[in-house]
Order: sequence, then structure tokens, then C-alpha cells
Amino acid sequence: MKLLVLALFVLGCGRDTPTPTETQCPSPDPETVTYENFGMQFMETYCLQCHSETLPRSQRNGAPLFHDFDDLIGILQVGNHIDEQAGSGPAASNHFMPPERCPAEPGGPLAIDCPQPTEAERQKLAEWMACEPDRPHSF
Amino acid sequence: MSSMLKLVAIIVMAPAVAMAEHHHHGMVTGEAEQGSSFAAGLSLVAAQFDTMEYGGEYQGLVPSLRWSHDRFAVMASLGVYRLQKNGLELYGAGDAMVHGQARLVGDGHVNAGLALAVSAPTGDNLQGLGMGHPMVMPAAYGHWGQGMVSVDGSVGYGRAIGGESHHAHGVWPLIEPMNMQEVTFAASGDVVLAKQLRAGGRVSGAMPIGDGISRVIGGVRVLWTEGRVDTAFEIQAGIAGDPFTLRGVLETALRF
Repeated sequence: MKLLVLALFVLGCGRDTPTPTETQCPSPDPETVTYENFGMQFMETYCLQCHSETLPRSQRNGAPLFHDFDDLIGILQVGNHIDEQAGSGPAASNHFMPPERCPAEPGGPLAIDCPQPTEAERQKLAEWMACEPDRPHSF
Repeated sequence: MSSMLKLVAIIVMAPAVAMAEHHHHGMVTGEAEQGSSFAAGLSLVAAQFDTMEYGGEYQGLVPSLRWSHDRFAVMASLGVYRLQKNGLELYGAGDAMVHGQARLVGDGHVNAGLALAVSAPTGDNLQGLGMGHPMVMPAAYGHWGQGMVSVDGSVGYGRAIGGESHHAHGVWPLIEPMNMQEVTFAASGDVVLAKQLRAGGRVSGAMPIGDGISRVIGGVRVLWTEGRVDTAFEIQAGIAGDPFTLRGVLETALRF
């Protein structure tokens, strides 16, 4: 009985270190939320107007350098930051990012409302950040 | 002559040194004061910074109130800032600071004491305006003066209270960066140039305990007194740790 409980516990665990929102990747990873079917579009819609390696400091609307989400490498380098700024999970629903106002053009005045992810999208983001680091990558 | 010089030193040194030091967490060093005094001050600060992740500038207005009685002194300040970081301009308050100190030994030209500064997280931590935690900063200071030359020094400790969050963006906050736990130091020297004019230099900094970034700041300053108004101007350079590239501080205070 004890062995069964232990086995269920081990099978039920995802990554060893919880994400900031304490979202856990299901085990085994169902790979239903990926960079190709979710992450790339999410970043392009909500993040790349400021978090892009093509933008100099003066056009980043306050976004720090080395937090660029043009590709999966850049995203995985700061995955926990992404989760704690915009993810939604058991421990928190973070709405720090995107901010309320965005420039219509890079480096321009904050002329438009930033598009905002839905709560469901934030939950998918958190799940993706919980699963993606442990997947095999070619880089 | 000696008495006149001492009188000038008392008038010029104590409040002016207090003002010039307020960016070192309100440390009031210098010639020992007698009696009670009250002062209201205003600092103008402007700086440029260039850290690993952020570049920009900030300007601030920092009003302060100071009261001293014999060996005790208390000061409070709260700054408001314009911050431009990586193309984003924003405005807001920094962290509020209250500082108290007591002279324990010595009088006149040589004295030493203890100080305690506490900051409240009134500044927006996410934007880089404040620490995000209350900070407690005890310190010990000493002053030595001889003729027209005086030297001051202090060593202290700073610790964030509550939570173990980390500063995820390197040097942080962008205004008055500090580590979550650190040892601080400062040393300064001044020389009297004229009856109401003093000039000097200072080195200050901190070393983290645990994770963090060491920083060293150097500065040169001039201080002058006109009646009950004390004014100081200091140019500072970030020598190590990217606290800022260059910063100018203009301070003035009215003594009552």
C-alpha cells in the first residue's frame, strides 16, 4: 500500500521546482500547449511590441534587456519571470504584464490600450511555462 | 581666531554635513551640535544610469525635516521622482526614510555615535522606484576635526524586513539601489575654504551579504552657509556596481 501511494505521488509530480504560480506540468507531459500551437502567437500578440531583441532600449517601453521573446530560447531564459508577471495558477493570477497602455509604434507615446490575455490564456501560459523547460530541445 | 573658527565650523558643518549625507541614509555627522535646532530642507537630484538591463535617467525632489537636541537628532524624508527607463517615463514617490541618531562619546571636534535608519516601501518596487520591503539600517559613525580639516566615517548594516524576494533585474531599485542584506561604509573629508565655504570629497558603498552586487560611489562637494540657509552641491560618480553613471545633488535647508 505504501509503495502504491509512493508511486502515485511520484507519477503525479511534475518539475521538481514549482513555478512562481505553483503551476505543475502534468506527468506525463501531454504536450497539448507548445510554443508552436500557443506560445509563439501569444508572444506576438501580447509581448513583442516591447520584448523584442530588435528594439533598442529607447523603444522598449520600459522592458528590460535580455527579456526578449522573439524565439523559444529567449523565452526559456526568463520563464519564471514570465510566469510571475503574466501567468495564472494555483498560487496567483498575475496581471502585471502586459501593462495598461502601449505605444502604437515602437518608441512612441503610450497611445493605445495594450491587448490583454484572457484568464484562460494566462492559465495556458502558466502551464506552458511549467512544461516547456523539461522538454527536449535541439539548442 | 580659534574660537571664531570653531563657531564657523559649528554653523557651517553640522547641518550642511547632514544635508549632504542624506543620500547615505540620513547620516548626520560632523561637528557636535549644542542646544536644539530644527531645519526644513529640499534636495534636487538628477542622475543617469546604465545597468545591464536598463538605461535611463531620473530627477527627484526630496523634502526633509530635521530636528536635533544636544546629542540626539531625527530626520525624515520622502522623495518624488521622474524616472525614464528604457524609453518609459513615469512618476512616483520613492521610499520614505526616517533616521535617528545619538552621539555617545566625545564633544566638539571629536565625537562618535550610533544611528538607525528605517525606510518604508512607499516606492513602486516593480517600476524601480523603491525596495519593495521595509529596510532597517543601523550604523556607527565618527567625526574628527582639526583646524580647517575634518574627517567623517561610518560603517553600517542594512537588511530588508519581511519576505525573501529577490531583485530579478540586477541592480535594483533603479533609484537608490540596495541589496536585501548588506554592509555599508562611508568616508568623507572636508576643508574650510573661507568663512562660509567648505569643500570636500566622499567615498561610500556597500557589500552584499549573500546574493547581490557591491557598489562604490565617489563624490566631490561644496557647501556654503548664508545666514540660516545652508546649501550644498555634490557631484557623484558610480565607481563600481552600476548604482548610476553620474549624479548631481543640490541641497538647501533653512534652520529655525
